[in-house]
Amino acid sequence: MNEALKRIFRIFFTYSIRTISLLLVVSAISFALVSASPMNPVQQYIIGLGTAVSPQQRAEIEDYWGVNEPPIERYFGWLSEVLHGNLGESAFYRRPVAAVIGERFWNSLALMLCAWLLSGVIGFGLGCVMGMYQDRWADKIIKKCCYILSSVPTFWLGLVFLLVFSVWLKWFPIGFSAPIGVRGEDVTFGQRLYHLILPAFTLGLASFSNIALHTRQKLIDVFNSEYVLFARARGEGKWTILCRHGLRNILFPALTLQFASFAELFGGSVMAENVFSYPGLGSAVSAAGLNGDVPLLLGITLFSVLFVSAGNMIANLLYGVINPQVRAFSAQNYGS
Amino acid sequence: MNIRKIIVLFLAMSVLLMTACGNNSSEAPKENNFITDSKDSVVIAIGSEPETLDPTQGWGHGNSPIVQSTLVKYTADLTFENDLATDYKLSPDGLIWTFTIRDDAFFTDGEKVKASDIAFTLETAKTAQGSVDLTYMESAVAEDDTTVVVTLSKPTSIFLNTLASIGVVPEHVYDKNYGVNPIGSGPYRFVEWKPQEQILFTANENYYGDIPAIKNVTVVFMSEDAALAAVQAGEVDVAYSTATLGTTEVDGYHVEAIASADNRGFTLPVLPNEGKTTQSGAPIGNDVTCNLEIRQAIAYGIHRQQIADVVLNGFGRPAYSENDGMPWNNPEVVIETDVEYAQKLLDDAGWIDTDGDGIVEKNGLKAEFSCIYPSGDSVRQAIVAAVAEQVKALGIQINVEGTSWDEIMQRMFSDAVMMGWGSAIPNETYYLYRSDGALLDDFYNPEGYMSDVTDGYLDAAMEALTVEEANENWKKVQWDGTAGTAMRGECPWVWVVNLDHVTYVRDGLSIGNQPIHGHGHGLPLIQNLQEWSWESGGLL
Repeated sequence: MNEALKRIFRIFFTYSIRTISLLLVVSAISFALVSASPMNPVQQYIIGLGTAVSPQQRAEIEDYWGVNEPPIERYFGWLSEVLHGNLGESAFYRRPVAAVIGERFWNSLALMLCAWLLSGVIGFGLGCVMGMYQDRWADKIIKKCCYILSSVPTFWLGLVFLLVFSVWLKWFPIGFSAPIGVRGEDVTFGQRLYHLILPAFTLGLASFSNIALHTRQKLIDVFNSEYVLFARARGEGKWTILCRHGLRNILFPALTLQFASFAELFGGSVMAENVFSYPGLGSAVSAAGLNGDVPLLLGITLFSVLFVSAGNMIANLLYGVINPQVRAFSAQNYGS
Repeated sequence: MNIRKIIVLFLAMSVLLMTACGNNSSEAPKENNFITDSKDSVVIAIGSEPETLDPTQGWGHGNSPIVQSTLVKYTADLTFENDLATDYKLSPDGLIWTFTIRDDAFFTDGEKVKASDIAFTLETAKTAQGSVDLTYMESAVAEDDTTVVVTLSKPTSIFLNTLASIGVVPEHVYDKNYGVNPIGSGPYRFVEWKPQEQILFTANENYYGDIPAIKNVTVVFMSEDAALAAVQAGEVDVAYSTATLGTTEVDGYHVEAIASADNRGFTLPVLPNEGKTTQSGAPIGNDVTCNLEIRQAIAYGIHRQQIADVVLNGFGRPAYSENDGMPWNNPEVVIETDVEYAQKLLDDAGWIDTDGDGIVEKNGLKAEFSCIYPSGDSVRQAIVAAVAEQVKALGIQINVEGTSWDEIMQRMFSDAVMMGWGSAIPNETYYLYRSDGALLDDFYNPEGYMSDVTDGYLDAAMEALTVEEANENWKKVQWDGTAGTAMRGECPWVWVVNLDHVTYVRDGLSIGNQPIHGHGHGLPLIQNLQEWSWESGGLL
């Protein structure tokens, strides 16, 4: 028990150090990229106003957006604020970045979690089927579907679903996280779920093929191994072999992939949220990008880094739970 | 055996999940509480979400703020009428405005609107570093509960325009969160804002003016594509759209093309290239476009209506100035397309095609220049490409190039630039043409137009003591009978089209008499919500 706690603590510690250095690097790079981008946020803002602005007023707006200071000064100013726990103020929404992120995060989390579970379950399940019926018709059909789905961009899939299920069949709402015209407090859990289905389904479908194809390959490897040959010789059926020898061996890479897919999931959610007008971090980040809202863009970038590395850390912790070999191995090696 | 069952179940589940979604949804409850079928509510889809609902930070700028009320407000033909103010006086030197306000206006929390709230609003807006330009205001002071005195540092005729778009905020509850939870004295009461989803408004039953016919208003934010899908699904009553999407016919809806001053035209550098550069090192001047006959030949040689029909699917009108249709626009700016006259201008000045390459030249200089536009803006690209195609017939070669705003900032003083303006406040004309603003990095006057005559009219208009006097001078800026900024005058700009604001409206809904829209997207649409109503004859 003590050993397990130590292991968790060690992983946590190493990951914290890594994450912090990663955050620093990512923030510096994104800041450099934003500074190098040809967009002029003040001009963007003024165009959006639709009214003429005097040079004095323009200077005041520039001061507010802070575009006149040199980028390096701005970066360190921003960094010291962040170290004090202040992510800054979104220049576009004129509200604290932390408040905007906090508001959007739960919507995105629900969406990504559903999509993640969906892609995991479907992907793993179909991967098993494909592996077991290798080169038979079921395998061939599902494999083709996987190839098609992994080549289709998320937003396109989303648009097609929107057209078919919302416009033609009218089964699902056209977008948003809650019904149009209903106050937040009157929205039921069922309604939220109902609005979540189509975007989550789109996101899940767009990302399951990866895990399905990997699971298939891994299962084929397992079925070609000598211990499976031995099991067959003992007279075990396909299903028994899958349960006794297959699952544990293929779960490991599947889990790695699934947790590593947090990054893709985040990227996909930007597309899905925009297509379905779903108010999450994804649509906030595109609004921030299009309007040159640097504090919000950086805030969400840092947040997504945290999110993705948390995913990787969970995967590492789970390895130990699933595979005792890793537990023993990491006990010797971590921290060295 | 048991485990096998579990696996089968597990696989079956994943398949079931896919189909189950379909089943669930068809049984899902019809969930609208106050929408579409009832006759006193509307759902409006617009593309751009406001950043804030705080007028001192820029909400409602150029439009009416709906939730708040203003001292004066625009009528549909963009003149002024009193709103909170019952009377106002201006001192003879044009510096001191004294407003008397009505005493029957209340904020929706029950507090009375006092002169001190107005003073507070103006002072807050001045320091907000937002879109409200009150840099010329010295102070705003409440003398008593119904009198407020505003002192300006110089006479400013656009002060009324500014007042018409600054909603009055209540001093007693104003704080940092006001922008997401506003309280005002306008025709509508704010109910709820779910960022990137919707804002709910409901009619203010204690409003001092006419209570609006539409009681519940939901404004949802979606991209134009999503909005069209929502129209096709029947989920919204009004949706902002684009010239490209607006040709799709949807049963139960009609498309309204609302006139706007949202214009597109291009600047033509009026200075010759003498090797000079701006402060930031950008080259100044263009030896081809500095010739008036070239600029005017283009202005007279293009078929604006054709461009509107082809590029904008008919959702556009010919543009002749930066402010067509506004009360401060001079009708004399309109010119007829006259290719022969354009040709004559070139011939008379000695531009002739001697080498047979289709491009006219003079003293060895070919009539050829670049027109740049921000890449990614397909409308601007298509308009400038159409113009380039049309002026080929005159022997003028325009090379169309899409580029970044950064590069535009470097090249706009020496190349033509496709741009767009259009404001509900006339001071835009001031910034576009004043000599002091020439060749600055602010995009207003990159062509380098400078004229003492124009400056005189501009200053007279800005400092005029009455709206009439100001408008008279704004008009003279464009054409005073002998000269001006119009295309028949110095022609620093060739104006091409005004974009219509294409809007899907559910049959049976009247969206009132829409004032001419400014450059903004979507928000101008809702400024006259009080006038909207459902026809009593029933829905089609």
